[in-house]
Amino acid sequence: MREDLKNILSNLNTDIDQETLLLYLQDKLSEEQKHEVEKKLANNEFADDAMEGLKEIKDKQQVAYMVEMLNRDLKKKTEKKKQRRQNLQLKDQSWLYMAIFIIVLLIIISYIIIHKMLKDQ
Amino acid sequence: MVSFPFVNTGKYDHIPDQQLLENFYSDHDNEWLGILLQRYTLLLLGVCMKYLKNEDEAKDCVQQIFLKVIQELHKYKVDYFKSWLYMVAKNHCLMKLRYKHGKIPAELESQPIAAPEETDKKELEQTDHVLDLMEDSIQELNPEQQQCVTLFYLQKKSYQQVSDMTGFSMLQVKSYIQNGKRNLKILIEKKLKNNIKQ
Repeated sequence: MREDLKNILSNLNTDIDQETLLLYLQDKLSEEQKHEVEKKLANNEFADDAMEGLKEIKDKQQVAYMVEMLNRDLKKKTEKKKQRRQNLQLKDQSWLYMAIFIIVLLIIISYIIIHKMLKDQ
Repeated sequence: MVSFPFVNTGKYDHIPDQQLLENFYSDHDNEWLGILLQRYTLLLLGVCMKYLKNEDEAKDCVQQIFLKVIQELHKYKVDYFKSWLYMVAKNHCLMKLRYKHGKIPAELESQPIAAPEETDKKELEQTDHVLDLMEDSIQELNPEQQQCVTLFYLQKKSYQQVSDMTGFSMLQVKSYIQNGKRNLKILIEKKLKNNIKQ
């Protein structure tokens, strides 16, 4: 009992994983597990605020689906930009190769023309 | 045990937030931010729900926060990601509320970003003396706070159990525990100061 007094002012490890939070929200944890989550919530303002809000969602079973949809959208956003940047890089490189090729070609043609002109004289 | 595979990010789970952020700062690949932000989707949804009280608006708000975070992190370096993200989310929701109520949207004053609550060595080294003070101080709390703090922290009851045993609502229980804890801290600090003076 005396050891438990330490929990009151302790800030040790207040992180709660999303899966545990979802199970807590859906009331699928034992009383002991609930107590552990609540002890962490009492020291974690972000998660505590979030839990307050999540409790207002009518269909608790939908929360995981909502999170999945948001994650998919986020993935699209972050991957699309990466893909676009890679495409741009490839495009940039193709223009570079094309430019080098044209310059080299022009130099060769100029050399041949000047060489021929000088020969004719 | 029910599992929610889509809630977790799988192979990156072992990488701490700070490392993901550093990876992003070194190659500016948004994919790192995607992995990092996915860890907080549920919390962001909850915070947005708390302020906006509407599921569709909350979902839109989370998406806007994602975009904002991605833009902002390209501009400057953030040291304490979780605290910073919480502040960004709260400010964004409050700004939306202001806008909704016909006022000019304005960024709230930037609040100092607190370092994550570190393990307080003093707390780890809680001496018998501090524990004695705590035992005495619990008796000085008002009866409701005393009852809820004792049931929750010492008898390890859940909020629901405390509520059933005391007849208080869940909200009241939570409030009594939070206020009781805060008052307890103040009482102990006061007593420790007095001890030093003596």
